[in-house]
Amino acid sequence: MHMADALLAPAVAATMFAASGAVVGVSVKELKKDENMAKLPTMAVTAALVFAGQMINYTIPGTGSSGHLCGGMLLSALLGPQAGFLSMAVILAIQALFFADGGLLALGANCWNMAFYGCFIGYYLIWKPIMHSRLFDGKKNADRIRIALASVLGCVITLQMGAFSVVLETTASGITELPFGAFAGIMQPIHLAIGLVEGLITTAVLLFIYEARPELLTELSVGAKKAKSRCSLKMTVAILASVVVMVGGGLSLFASGNPDGLEWSMFGNSEAGYSENMALDEDAYGISSKAADTAGMIQEKTAFLPDYAFTGSDSAAGTTVSGLVGSAIVAAVAVLICMLGGFFRTKRINGNCEDT
Amino acid sequence: MIEFQNVSFSYDGKTPIVQKIDLVIKKGETVGLIGANGAGKSTIMKLMLGLLAGEGSIFIDGIQVKKQNLPQIRKKTGYVLQDSDNQMFMPTVYEDMMFGLRNYGMTKDAAEARVDAVLGQLGLQDLKYRYNHKISGGEKRMAAIATVLAMQPEVILMDEPSTALDPVNRRIVIRTIQSLPQTKLIASHDLDMILETCDRVILLSRGTVVADGDCRTILKDRELLEKNRMELPLCMQAMGI
Amino acid sequence: MDKLSGAQSELREMDVLATGTSVVHRLHPLCKLLVTITYIFIVVSFHKYDLSGLVVMVLYPILLFQATGIPVHVCFYKLRVVLPLVCAVGLVNPFLDQTPMVQIGNLVITGGIISMLTLMLKGCLALMASFLLVATTTIDVLCAGLRQLHVPKLLVALLLLTYRYIGVMMEEASVMVQAYSLRAPGQKGIHISAWGSFLGQLLLRSMDRAQELYNSMELRGFRGEFYYSDIPDCRAGGVLFTLISCSVFVCARVVNVAQLIGTLLVG
Repeated sequence: MHMADALLAPAVAATMFAASGAVVGVSVKELKKDENMAKLPTMAVTAALVFAGQMINYTIPGTGSSGHLCGGMLLSALLGPQAGFLSMAVILAIQALFFADGGLLALGANCWNMAFYGCFIGYYLIWKPIMHSRLFDGKKNADRIRIALASVLGCVITLQMGAFSVVLETTASGITELPFGAFAGIMQPIHLAIGLVEGLITTAVLLFIYEARPELLTELSVGAKKAKSRCSLKMTVAILASVVVMVGGGLSLFASGNPDGLEWSMFGNSEAGYSENMALDEDAYGISSKAADTAGMIQEKTAFLPDYAFTGSDSAAGTTVSGLVGSAIVAAVAVLICMLGGFFRTKRINGNCEDT
Repeated sequence: MIEFQNVSFSYDGKTPIVQKIDLVIKKGETVGLIGANGAGKSTIMKLMLGLLAGEGSIFIDGIQVKKQNLPQIRKKTGYVLQDSDNQMFMPTVYEDMMFGLRNYGMTKDAAEARVDAVLGQLGLQDLKYRYNHKISGGEKRMAAIATVLAMQPEVILMDEPSTALDPVNRRIVIRTIQSLPQTKLIASHDLDMILETCDRVILLSRGTVVADGDCRTILKDRELLEKNRMELPLCMQAMGI
Repeated sequence: MDKLSGAQSELREMDVLATGTSVVHRLHPLCKLLVTITYIFIVVSFHKYDLSGLVVMVLYPILLFQATGIPVHVCFYKLRVVLPLVCAVGLVNPFLDQTPMVQIGNLVITGGIISMLTLMLKGCLALMASFLLVATTTIDVLCAGLRQLHVPKLLVALLLLTYRYIGVMMEEASVMVQAYSLRAPGQKGIHISAWGSFLGQLLLRSMDRAQELYNSMELRGFRGEFYYSDIPDCRAGGVLFTLISCSVFVCARVVNVAQLIGTLLVG
């Protein structure tokens, strides 16, 4: 689910950077209350562990395939939302920098899609209410069931939100011709499966921790602490319901735009002047997207987007013969640079040999 | 130099890890701390450093180990951890050695001079700018010792300094320990190393001192050692004692 | 599970590259960071049909690869991670966007093909730029630079420590994976019966490690401040590099250089 730099328009990337940056700021401020940074080593080691843990394959029973851990839910259950978010953000940064997973510009978006939902939404709306609730109180394994429920629900819901954000961001960036609805239609079910598997892995790990060292889990409602949260079952249901309504409402909002939606993705750039250049007939295309229109509105509202950011260049349709010739010359220059570089390096090596 | 007065400790208030220990260690002594797993060796060290708080009182160089004295205590004591990876958390050996010095308010130049001097003393100049995650186990252990020495402690505590080292590196570590003039407390199962480095041995069992005395006398006592889940040092076995 | 050992060697490789001594290595980390971000920003801002305009941006990574002597294949190897998603998104474009754009003889190139190629090129260029940043800057210098930028110290310290312990944790995890696979021949991954205990065990161990680590920090007087290594002075060279690179990028974005040259030649 890592977004790549190329899939984001600068404005979208910047917006997501600002959003994630704000969350980082809030988290740092919260954690700074402890001046000695006592949590720092735990955060670092756990982050490093989750990083390594993401590379372990888990065989999914009954299928030939294997699943992985993403870790947002796990981190926030162990460290709390703020520390979990920062740890996840650092994991994402290292993945982007050293492993080319994601990208520098897409880091903001990735932090939002994976760390924010997994840690904050997962913690405040799912983990905490469920762990505090009196659900299954009569059962023998009430705590265990609550952990399992919170993990699976948390992973599924936060991954759905993350996947939906990927679709939103890509569409708002005007990168793909894939209609919004179709894109979401592919992404959401895939991530439902991924979320389920991740939820199960998270459950297994958290249950193990619960058996071995329950004090490591946050919000574990043991004994006296429990009294303060009464009506949490209702609250949980209410919160979950509102999340579902929000996501669903957002989806249907995008799906019910006007039928000429595709015009946005194809001709919305007419400011750049190429639809006229190409003498295109707007009705010649049979494909239409309902969602793209709405997304187009969003794009217009965010204003600082690629098409408009550099309108002066007016070069959108520059792929002509001269463009091809020019590109060939650029390629030639590239080859020349390589040859020169190679030449100087050999010369330096030879020079060094003569010196010694 | 170090004084334990009726020190006890337990994690849960029920099962005692360390029970009523009274000890005096003189300045310049090298003391081996031996005992089976769980005998309380590490706990005693952590109590001295104020990482754990127990009952009774501990004095280091006349200063009592308690919360308000911790900065002073920690300036006087150096602790070489068993896992050097946990000790060396900065990217390079140099930065790691600078870490403590800068935290205690040394200027950059003074700290750097100190780092160079310690690396020179141990013959580790080549390690200075190396990355901690890329140096070998032996180098890491030596670098960890250097990190501690840079702080110029008066007391050095070492937790298993010779484990997981090859014979050559183990020898280097032993020579280094022998060359250090400070008061040293070494916890280890490597009785041969204890024999080579220590003047005095304290044998612990279930949190109490079972034997305390001259190194050779205790390490020669097969019956005592075996009763406390240990064996004679190999060199003693070879000598047929 | 080769992924773990693969990642370990990738990390080692990056470390070796970053300790090089070329001119680019010696530049101030913030100069490089600024140039890299500007570059990626400009690259992704090219219009989806503006392939010819984008082409000229290829020269920056090529120049840098030549100046640093960093082998290109290391970078291409990393493309395997990022390209699948970009391609998956890009590949639908030729089917959905049939706008004819260029006609060479009978061959009609549609807008979809051009936007697909543009997207893929953007993906490669953005990756190359950030790869070059990390391959010429060690993590400690980068962190020191981030501190100069007033990135919160908690975040920078976390980055530094996490990076330090990633190697340690991957080593521990791969030892466990090996131990597991030795007793479970033919299994592709971890069986469901061990899902929890596998990572759980590691987690418990790492919690102890974190405690030890904190002890060792505390013992050396840690009060929340890290002291970072020296970073190269931001001398005229760095400023010049930043100014020139950024203005060249902006020019290349405003003027379609390839087309300009072509027009001059073809008329």
